[in-house]
Parts: sequence; structure tokens; C-alpha cells
Amino acid sequence: MQSAPLPETLAGLAGLDPNSVPVMILTSLIGAALIGTLMMTNTALAGPWAKRKITAAFTDRIAVDRIGPFGLLIIAADSVRLLSKELIVPDGVDRPAWDLAPLLIASSALLGFAVIPMGSGLHLADPEVGLAYVFATASMASVGLVMAGYASNNKYSFLGGLRAVAQNVAYEIPLILTGASVVIFAGSLQMSEIVAAQSQTLVGPLPSWYAFVNPFAFVLFMIANLAEVGRNPFDIPEAPTEIVAGYQTEYSSVYFVLIYLGEFIHIFLGGAIIATIFLGGPAGPVLPGIVWFMIKIWGVFLFTQWARSAVPRVRIDQLIEIGWKGMLVLSLANLLLTAVIVGVIA
Amino acid sequence: MSIEKPSSPTEIGVTDDGLDYDALAELLGGHVLDRESHVNAEGFVIRPDEVQEVLSTLKTEAGFDHCACVTAQEYDDRYESIYHLRKYDDPTQELSIVVPSPKDDPHNQSAARVYDTADWHEREAYDLVGIDYDDHPDLRRILLPDTWQGHPLSQDYDQSQPQIVTLRENANPLQEDRRSEDDPDTMFVNIGPHHPATHGVLHVKTVLDGEQVADIDPDIGYLHRCEEQMCEHGTYRHQIMPYPDRWDYSGAGIINEWAYARAAEDLVGIDVPEYAQVIRTMSAELCRITGHMLALGTFALDVFGDFTAVFQYAFRDREVVQSILEDLTGQRLMFNYLRLGGVAWDLPEPREEFFEKTRDFLDDLPYKLEEYHDLITGNEIFQMRCVDTGILTPEQAKAHGATGPVARASGVDYDLRRDDPYGYYDELDWNVVTESGCDNFSRVLVRMREVEESARIIEQCVDLLEQWPEDDREIQANVPRTLRPDPDKEIYRAVEGAKGELGIYIRSDGTDKPARFKIRSPCFSNLQTLPELAQGEYIPDMVASLGSLDIILGEVDR
Repeated sequence: MQSAPLPETLAGLAGLDPNSVPVMILTSLIGAALIGTLMMTNTALAGPWAKRKITAAFTDRIAVDRIGPFGLLIIAADSVRLLSKELIVPDGVDRPAWDLAPLLIASSALLGFAVIPMGSGLHLADPEVGLAYVFATASMASVGLVMAGYASNNKYSFLGGLRAVAQNVAYEIPLILTGASVVIFAGSLQMSEIVAAQSQTLVGPLPSWYAFVNPFAFVLFMIANLAEVGRNPFDIPEAPTEIVAGYQTEYSSVYFVLIYLGEFIHIFLGGAIIATIFLGGPAGPVLPGIVWFMIKIWGVFLFTQWARSAVPRVRIDQLIEIGWKGMLVLSLANLLLTAVIVGVIA
Repeated sequence: MSIEKPSSPTEIGVTDDGLDYDALAELLGGHVLDRESHVNAEGFVIRPDEVQEVLSTLKTEAGFDHCACVTAQEYDDRYESIYHLRKYDDPTQELSIVVPSPKDDPHNQSAARVYDTADWHEREAYDLVGIDYDDHPDLRRILLPDTWQGHPLSQDYDQSQPQIVTLRENANPLQEDRRSEDDPDTMFVNIGPHHPATHGVLHVKTVLDGEQVADIDPDIGYLHRCEEQMCEHGTYRHQIMPYPDRWDYSGAGIINEWAYARAAEDLVGIDVPEYAQVIRTMSAELCRITGHMLALGTFALDVFGDFTAVFQYAFRDREVVQSILEDLTGQRLMFNYLRLGGVAWDLPEPREEFFEKTRDFLDDLPYKLEEYHDLITGNEIFQMRCVDTGILTPEQAKAHGATGPVARASGVDYDLRRDDPYGYYDELDWNVVTESGCDNFSRVLVRMREVEESARIIEQCVDLLEQWPEDDREIQANVPRTLRPDPDKEIYRAVEGAKGELGIYIRSDGTDKPARFKIRSPCFSNLQTLPELAQGEYIPDMVASLGSLDIILGEVDR
């Protein structure tokens, strides 16, 4: 299962010494560009096209079908449209922060993919603190949201930014606690170890993925992840009918694209974390690992879109209540139980 | 019969055959200076400085708890405000209180201390006609901008002089954050006129305390199109009928047309053939379904937060009704189908096809409603959001003149189709839907259940129309080409619109055009309850409450 990280493979392919520093830098950059491009391609597919098609399927519509086969060329058309729009900078925005926020939102999620084993050798790095690193990068987006909300000099943005913080604080703790219960099972924070630990079979043909070993933790994680990526019923920081578009109200053109891109990459990163720690990473029969991995993260994406189409939004106070009084308690209980069970068995 | 209403305790002046106005005049004693005879009720003329006294006597002792409308107008020698009073228990018991005020300095006492609903109605009268109301809590312009010069419906107003007022002239969108000095933590925020949740161009001046609404003031008038004045410039027979379609444009156009048709027909005494009444009843209920579907879809939009499944489903089903209406009237929205004395044309040929299409829709409807109940009312998050939020007590509803589903969801059993019958409603078997929850959830539930009742009515109408003898299909009474009602006849007549009591006041002056045409819009009165619903609630609940009121700004602003 475990293969050499992508930079080393690349160096080996080019016949260079993987241990020399310049080669390491070069191959790492190439590897990062590969992974980044892969994820951006996924996002490009998801944002302008798949999201529309999926929502349309849920709501009895057809959606884009005029340009190209299945309307796929809408991706190109939308890119031109979005990028050619005027970038409006409102009076009184807090300049460096206002400009940095979209970049931070878009890039922080992308960073997380560095340690995700996507199968078929697509694994950039495998540090021992892999899972902690992923959670850390994913959380950085919250800083971006606050920056965007606070720097926009708009009351709706401000409210959206505050909501984003409240929500992320309330849901990141259960998210990480539930993730920690997996770490107890696997006995390691290293992503490749977590994947390897899920490679046995549980009962019959059922693999010992942690989603099957501990379905309770899986459900908790999925819910907390919905809040983490801000989709219904937890799309409160944007809440279009309440606070217009929340923290992204004042962003247009490229900045808007960056924020949107960041959101989608964030959903995919959420999917990648779920796939890795609960669904056996790239494991699966017949097809190559990367295909299975993509199927899994698109499955999570589909789930978020389903929730978005069918579930009402909760109120901010209800959200906080669910987070602190429900999710936190449940995830703590889950963690304790897991620790006890693993302690007794081991 | 199912549409019988429980009887109410007897009040002063109530007799078996209508109101005894002599007893009411006796109650008021010397306050009544003169008595006028309007077509719908008697009018008592009173002194301008005794309005509060007279109205509160009538409210507390004679049971007139519903101030339906305030009409203001200018005569050659005086100004006049008319308070159209009725009872929630029996709206056929009506009384008009006529308050003249002097030409050179028009002012009379405000009724807003007695009826909360008079607040906005008097502001409108001040705005458009120019009467000052003493002791009014907040006499500002309401439809026109604060900087407007003159009062458009007064006689000396220069209609030819255009006035262009930009927002910047009468409001500073970037004004300071706090509304009150004593509470520095509050934040002032303009919700609208361009905001995803305002269902049109409504501007809600909101003061927030954190996420909670500390103070709220709806600012209307962005869609004011001088509908009343346009109607005053049209002839009764043909030129007014297209306008009502543009008031409540949620798809409920035919009900609006009926409001005008009913008032004008009663004014000149036209009897509508029964066959036409059945067609009217059927088409009005189809319109009610489109209106309620829109309300349901947009409310889901407000609570779900996006153009989600429920919204699209509601529109999908509304589309079916619209296509039936298109077959019938030739139009999808601006029907212009009713005529004084009947309807424009008979059902489309072949009739069987039309009946089949309508029946198909009615047969599918229960399954669709079940789907909605699964998706919306059965959803726990939805219940969490809507139950016990946006409370409107029956007392508040009555005080603010709320009608329609908004009032019925607060347990106020008031439906003009049953209580003041018109058309063919009293011959059919159906129920008035009420809920006692008083909250956002009840308002949604009332609309969904009313769709079922409307379907029942349509079904009976379709049966009737199918069996109607072919030689008796009279769609139009004999109405003169030009209608000239006798001078100085006055009438206030209302129908049950999709949003509530949609009333029309007409005063004739002997010509073929009305001298005064006043629209009592249900949304206008219902929107007044928003501060009651939203104060102290969270922003999302305020938005949900606004959605549950189901206002159509075209009807609020006219």
C-alpha cells in the first residue's frame, strides 16, 4: 500500500538523486503543481458545471446544456465571464487584509492536500503529524473569513465574518475530537499509517474502514464537516436570504472567484479527509487508487449538495447550541469510549 | 352547512336583518352631525375633533373591531376622511365614519390611538391627499419620499410637474451605526430595498443588537405606481379592469379583478349571471392556488436559504395552474378576464379537454401536497425554525387590521368568501381554514391547507360547469356601453384576496369615471404587523416572519 512520496518518484523517473536539495525542491514543486492542478481541475468541474447539474437534478430542472456536450464548455465560458468582470473595490475597505483574504481562503485548503495519500503514488509528503497538519491548514480558512468580513467595511460582511468564527469554533472542536478517535484506533497521526490500518477486512468482504468500525464517529464527522465547509443546514456565514452573502458580499470578479474556489477546494479537502480517515483512502477493488479516491471525495461532495438542496438552514443560536451542547458532548463521549475500548482490547 | 359561522353575542344595533343604524346613532348621541347613505353601509358624519371618542365608543360598545380602511379625499369645499368599520365576527355589519375637515387647514383627530392599523392608513392619507392628523404617533409620508412637494391627490397639485427624488436626497445610506445614543452596542442596518429576502423592493430599517432585532421600521413606496389615480382616469366599463392584475402579481390577478368588479357592479346594480359566477369562482380559486404556491416557495427560499428543491417544486406545480389559466384567459399573469357583469369569454373549446386538464391537476394535488408536507412541515429543522417564532396574537392581528391567512393563522376566523358571500361560494361545500399557533409555522400551514380547500371548490365548480345546460351558458349580463353611476354614490366592497381583504372604495360623480378610487390592500395592513412579529427576534426569524406575511409589494405600494 505504502509507496514513496511523489517527489521521490519523480526524481527516480528523471534519474536524479532524490536526496540532493535542489532536486528535492524542484521535484517537490513539480509534484505540488501536479496535485494542485488536479484539485483545481476538480473544482473547475464542480463549481460551474457539476454543482449546477446536481442541484438541477434535485430540483426537477435541466441546467446548463447549451454549450458543448452536456453543457461542459460552460466551464470555459464561465471562466471568461468571471475573470472579465470589473473588480470593484469599495470605499473604506481595509486594503491589505481585504486583498489577502481571498488568497488565504483559496490557498489554505489547497495546502492540506500536500499530505493526503490519493493513491497511485500521488502523495506529496507523509509527515508524522499528517492529520494534525490537515486540520491546521483547514482551520486557516476561518482566519480568511474573518479578514474578509472585517475588512470589507460592510455590515452584512461583518455579521457574516462573526458568524463564521462562531460557527468554526463551535464545530472544529467536535471535528478534531472525532478525528482524534480515529487516531486512537490507528495509533498514528501519519496519513499513510491511518490508511494502512484500514486495509484489513472487518467481517466477510467488508473492509475495516473506520466508517464501518465506528459509524457513530463517521456520522458525527460528516455533520461537523458540513458546518466546517459551510453548507446547509449550516450555511450561516453566507446565508443569502439573511445577510446577502455574508463575508463575500463586497467581493467581485477575481476575488469572488478565489473565494468560491476556496470554498469548493475546502469541500473537497473535507471529502479527502473523510475518505482518508474513514473510507480507507484510495483503497478499492479493480480500479486504480486515484479513481477510487476521486469517487469517494465526489461522493462527499454529492452529499453536501444534497444537504444544500433539501435541508433548511438552522438559526445562528440553534447552530451554536447544536455545536456546543450536542456535537461537542457526543464527540467527547465518542473519544472516551474509543479510548476505553481500544485500551481494553489492546 | 359547513360554511356556517358560530353566532356571536349580540351587540348594540345588531338585529336579525342587518344593523339598526338608529340604535348606533343613539349610542353616539350628539356626536352624529349628519347621516349619509352609502351603498354598503350608512355613514355617520362627526366632528373632526371627536374622532377618538366616537371610534373608541364604537369599538368597545358596538363591537366594531376592524377598521378596514381609511379613505381620504378632497371635495370642492372640504376634505373628508372615511373610516370604514366592520366586525371580524360579521363583516356584513359595516359602518362608515365620515370626518369632514376644513378646506384651508385640513386636520382632524387621528384614529391611530384606537385602531393601530389607522397609523399607516392615515399616513397614506396625509401623504397623498394632505390631511393632517392630530395626535398621530408618527405622521410622516409613507409612499412618497420625505422631500416630495405637495400631495398628489389634492386638487391644487400640479400633475404636469415631474419630480425626481434620488435616495441620497432623503436618506443617507451610510448614516451612523447607532439608532439611539443610550445603547451604543446597537447597529443600524438597511435591509433592502435591494436584498434577497425582501420579495421585491421593500426597505426595512433595522436596528440590530448583535444578531437580534432591536427596532424595525418598514419603509414602503418603492413600487408606488399611482394605481388609484390611474383608475380614477379610466372609464368604469373597460379601462379600469386591466389595472387590478398589477396589484397582487403573484398570480392572483383574477381575484383582484373581482374586487373591482364586485364594487362597480354593486355600485350600478348589475346582476351577474350564475354561469359567469361559477367561472369566476373557479378561476379565482385557481389564482389563489398560484398565489399560495408562490408564497410557499418563497417562504421555503427564506428558511432553506437558497433556490432549493421546495422552491422549484412549488413553481413546477404553480406552472400547471398557470397553464390552465392561460387556456382559460389567454394570459399567464395579466389576465384581464373579468368584465363588469360577467367574464370575457366562455371556457375554451373543446371543453372536455379543459375539464380533463383541470381534473388531472386536482387529482395530482394531494400527492404533491403530501410531498410538501414531507419536505417542509414534517422537517424537524423547519419546525425548529418556524414553530413559536414570529408570534402574532389574535388581539394584535385584529388591532393591525390583519386579514387573510395571516389573521387565520392567529385564530381569527375571518374569511369574506363565507362571511360576506359573493360569487358562488355560498352554494359550495368548503371550510375556512384556521390555525391557533399564531407563529410562522401556522401561517405556512394555513396556506397549504387553503390550497386543499381551493381544490375542493374548483372540483365542485368543474362539475357544475360540465353539467350546465348548453342553452343557459350566459357569460355576460346586459351592461350599457358607457356606465354613468348616479352622482355622489359611495361604496366600499371587498373580496377575499389571496392575501386577505382586498377592498375597493368608489365614489361616483355622475361621469363615466370614478371621482375617487381607493384600494384597501391586504398586504399593506398585514405588513404593519411586522414590528410585532420581529422585535426581539433573530435576523433569520425576522426574514422568515417577513416571508410568512406573504407581502406582494405591488399591492402594498399600489
